[in-house]
Amino acid sequence: MTTRTFPFPPDPVIEAYKKDIDRTLIRENMKRTVEERFERLMELQRFAEELQRAGREARKKQ
Amino acid sequence: MTDFRALLQALTAGKVEYVIIGGAAATAHGASRLTLDLDIVYRRTPENASRLAAALAPHNPYLRGMPPGLPFHFEGQTIWNGLNFTLTTTLGEIDLLGEITAGGGYEDLLPHSMMLEVFGVQCQCLGLERLIFVKRAVGRPKDLEALAELEAMLEEQSKPDGSNV
Repeated sequence: MTTRTFPFPPDPVIEAYKKDIDRTLIRENMKRTVEERFERLMELQRFAEELQRAGREARKKQ
Repeated sequence: MTDFRALLQALTAGKVEYVIIGGAAATAHGASRLTLDLDIVYRRTPENASRLAAALAPHNPYLRGMPPGLPFHFEGQTIWNGLNFTLTTTLGEIDLLGEITAGGGYEDLLPHSMMLEVFGVQCQCLGLERLIFVKRAVGRPKDLEALAELEAMLEEQSKPDGSNV
């Protein structure tokens, strides 16, 4: 296994955001195949659409 | 929902030359953020423009966000006369880009891309380092959080036990 050196100079703003990145999600995703990653993305889209639909319905009832 | 499987299969079956960029490329590399569309940079040749139009034609491509009923004829010549198109199709949202800021066109991106085998097809996807380079160069505030994740991914992959994809 080869190791790569990080090719970009640190950007202070990006570094600030990086502190809040959940690396456990990244590590779990890296265990998946590319196809599994796309399948999860589509599941997430479906979930988001369902939440949006539910939100619209709830607002109508108010 | 954007059907990434069907879109990639349609493009590849149509022998379209393209590179996946943007959020879908980030997903391929392991990002967990939600993206709603497929962004591709297509090769700017008349032949490829025709193949691209033919591949999407069965899926009713139309200009995203435009009112219905406009006289929009999506043909190879349409693509050739234009450059970038944000489309909605029956398979979902797709952005066709002739070139991108700081990245150039298909020929510029291809050396920085990798072959993906996904959903039974092979397609080119922009490499993680180039994806970061382009997003940094564009410098949009909305990309900062995504950039943080991409760079964290690169750091994770750079660890001795990290995956290379």
